[in-house]
Amino acid sequence: MKIDPATKKQKTRNIALSLFIYVLPIALMFITFSINGQRPWIKKPIKKENIKLITNKSNFTNGSND
Amino acid sequence: MGATIEFIRKIIENLNGYGFPVLLLFIGVLEFSFGLYKGKWPKNERWVDIACFIVVPLIVRPAFGLFGLKVLPALFPAYKNLFGWVPVLWGVAIIAVADDLTQYWYHRLHHQIPWLWRFHRTHHSASYMGMAMANRQNLIYTIFFSQVYLTIALVYLGLGVPAIIVGVIKGAITTLAHSSIPWDKPFYKYKVLHPIAWVLERTISTPATHHAHHASSTDDGIGYYKGNFGNMFFLWDIIFGTALITRQYPKAYGISHYRGDQWYAQLLWPIFKSKVEGSELAAAGPMVRIERRQRTKPRAG
Repeated sequence: MKIDPATKKQKTRNIALSLFIYVLPIALMFITFSINGQRPWIKKPIKKENIKLITNKSNFTNGSND
Repeated sequence: MGATIEFIRKIIENLNGYGFPVLLLFIGVLEFSFGLYKGKWPKNERWVDIACFIVVPLIVRPAFGLFGLKVLPALFPAYKNLFGWVPVLWGVAIIAVADDLTQYWYHRLHHQIPWLWRFHRTHHSASYMGMAMANRQNLIYTIFFSQVYLTIALVYLGLGVPAIIVGVIKGAITTLAHSSIPWDKPFYKYKVLHPIAWVLERTISTPATHHAHHASSTDDGIGYYKGNFGNMFFLWDIIFGTALITRQYPKAYGISHYRGDQWYAQLLWPIFKSKVEGSELAAAGPMVRIERRQRTKPRAG
């Protein structure tokens, strides 16, 4: 099937423009990340909670070694 | 603040679930009470609309569910939630473009490629606009709704919340664009609202531009079934040169040569064929019926 040059040009333009629009929000997102220095894909290490262990006699020895 | 966010989240979740059928029924009741279907909803068309409203979700939703919950995890188990880190607003932008631009092309191709037209014909055979015909589609057309598979894949990759937000916004816009209640009319009537109208009609589907797409003729300069393919965003029509912006509504809708094909043929063509002689859905029917005055199908370009 022969496609006339004008239709072929139109199809190429439409495909290129569509691909550009698909990529646009993703590209803008990464540009914003680079400007703001954000790296949301890097998993943050879970912070150790500041829990104070209570180590009185009863915790370990049930208070029987005294 | 936390309570407000939770409240909004619950509204969105509910709208995404059973909210839309309720919205359809609510607007449908309004349309009936305004007498907008008076004399325009023959028995045959009632059967087509009701069959599509009931059967399509019953079959299609489980198929989509199967794809998201079984097929994707089996094929790509390591990719689940891979992009869960994408911020919600960026996710919304990505899904809105991916979903709606894909639907624009899916829709446009069904108008421009002759052998695809008959899968989309059911949606255009209604001679009225409104909630009754908003979900009127051939089952095969709906099952192959390409943008749904793309969106489900993005949900699988971690964009679930953005997909829900886009789904709610898109559902509201497309439902209201099909409604026979012309909510956009005040924007054209009052001069103070004209700047808003200018922006609205170029960005989203309005009743005026989408009704033009469903017109039975292009002769009046209002109807334009050769374009206005956008679903949520009308912007695609502007960008790709298929837009006709109108602030009037067509006098007649549907397909000029339509003679009431049976509900089962409209719902399940090519499995079931129409008994209407010369119909595009009949066993020996033409792929595209050519009218004497103009080539009516495919309905675009």
